[in-house]
Amino acid sequence: MSGSGLAWHRVLAVARKDAAELARNPGAILPAVAMVFGSLFPAFLVVIGAPMIAGESLERSGDFAEEAQAAIGAIPEIAHLAGNALIQAFLFHQFSLLLLLVPVVAAMALATHAVIGEKQSKALEPLLATPLTTVELLAAKTLTPFVFALALSWAAALLYVAGIGLVAEPGVWRSILGPRSFLMFVVLGPLVELAALQLSVIVSSRASDPRSAQQLASLLILPITIVFVGQLMGAYVIGPAALLLGALGCGILNALLLWVGVKVFDRETILMRWK
Amino acid sequence: MPAALLVAEHLTRAFDARVAVRDLTLSVAAGEIVTVLGPNGAGKTTTMRMVAGLILPTSGRITLNQVPLTAATAGEARRAIGLLTEAPGLWERLSVRLNLLTYARLQGLPRPSQEVDAALAQVGLTDRADDLAGRLSKGLKQRVAIARALIHRPPILLLDEPTSGLDPASARHMRDLIVGLRRDGRAVLVSTHNLAEAEELSDRIAVLNTTLLALDSPAVLRQRLSGTQVAIEVEGDAARWLPSLGSIPGASAAAAGARLTVDLPGLAAVPDVVAALVAAGARVVRVLPDQRSLEEVYLNLVGATS
Repeated sequence: MSGSGLAWHRVLAVARKDAAELARNPGAILPAVAMVFGSLFPAFLVVIGAPMIAGESLERSGDFAEEAQAAIGAIPEIAHLAGNALIQAFLFHQFSLLLLLVPVVAAMALATHAVIGEKQSKALEPLLATPLTTVELLAAKTLTPFVFALALSWAAALLYVAGIGLVAEPGVWRSILGPRSFLMFVVLGPLVELAALQLSVIVSSRASDPRSAQQLASLLILPITIVFVGQLMGAYVIGPAALLLGALGCGILNALLLWVGVKVFDRETILMRWK
Repeated sequence: MPAALLVAEHLTRAFDARVAVRDLTLSVAAGEIVTVLGPNGAGKTTTMRMVAGLILPTSGRITLNQVPLTAATAGEARRAIGLLTEAPGLWERLSVRLNLLTYARLQGLPRPSQEVDAALAQVGLTDRADDLAGRLSKGLKQRVAIARALIHRPPILLLDEPTSGLDPASARHMRDLIVGLRRDGRAVLVSTHNLAEAEELSDRIAVLNTTLLALDSPAVLRQRLSGTQVAIEVEGDAARWLPSLGSIPGASAAAAGARLTVDLPGLAAVPDVVAALVAAGARVVRVLPDQRSLEEVYLNLVGATS
């Protein structure tokens, strides 16, 4: 039983309520905030910390010089740099892929709480007895985590660039602000986040506690990690074309998940199964 | 008789092979309280959910405030109902006001804050508006939940176990609120296990055990099952007067101490019984109607189908 139109005042009513609940639930936000620091730390450790500890610059150690030179084709933003700055810029670009984990982890943490919280507080039945349609409920349950996780991922990106500006060679930070980062944080990031959100909501509608839902939804972390490790091992360099391809794949995945989500979010099914 | 605001006709709901409710027909008029009474698993919650438009009946029809409830009209039809679920289902991290404000916004009310204030005043919780819902007692939570059900001023109220788990004072307050809803002209459908509560509140009681076993006022239900029964107190041992009642057609009697309990085909036979006793030499002290309790009626009805 669901209506056909989407009444935004109802979507916003539930989304605002979810935002207020989230603001009072540090336990739900903590994994997302921890992920910000978890994704920033390795880059600075490898690019800045390790050479400091070893007392030898990256350029002198010669580990990444060739790869950095070879990556200029895929990442033209670093072409004007040379020596240590080029290697640093190359590595910071490589590690920026890790920041994609921020919207994924944040979306999963927040969406599973948003859905399972309703189950646990037995608030679903009175909610469904209003004119709220199931598609509106799905939209509302996605909206607040989406906005919050996106804001967090962009904050992480800003921190990343600011950190590079503070500790890296001059000019490195500016190389990060190119088309590759735009594609990663403004196009691919939100699409990956949306997929994580939808997957979390779907899984949460079948699970009874946030942890088991998060474990299942964390399947999305795996492909990002594999791509990151492959890149780090020098198997390939992710350039704008690869990012666009990834965005296209994510778009298709999102369309598929939306279709599944609408099917799963049948009023009667959620009512009978969300116990 | 006021118009029926809630009409359920021949409702059946099956979950796979199990039939939860079979061929249920009932209606609730404006200013009327109808209670659905039944044991666990009798189909009370399923009935409430069907009437609330939360689940579809397998067959049958529901009309809410003159609007037939279908998949297409469910959203609109749900505006006519306020549902109180057995568990209050509040968002415990939020204040009472924010809980209600969310529902006022969901219902699309033009002045949500004023409606929240009015609903809080109606349930006597104005001074607790800024408290976190999670810090309230069960009784106060239930009052917030009823304020939530009332916030859009629905003509039909569905109350699922409204006093379940409440202390006597909170339960009394809740019953007073429900009686107030009748005065406001709402149609109220209550589901409960509590026989005393059903008897106190209801204009009519629907005894449900998958199928509808009876639907009538508490007095008529008792009458229907017990027929006419009178208790006659006499001086001395009542048993010695039993033979004198043998000549009354259709009467059967039992004695205990100074009391005779006589089942009769109708009230018209009472003078004959008294005359027969007096003629036999009994000194009749008093004659009392002796109806069965609603509990006996209920157990009789439900027991017959279990």
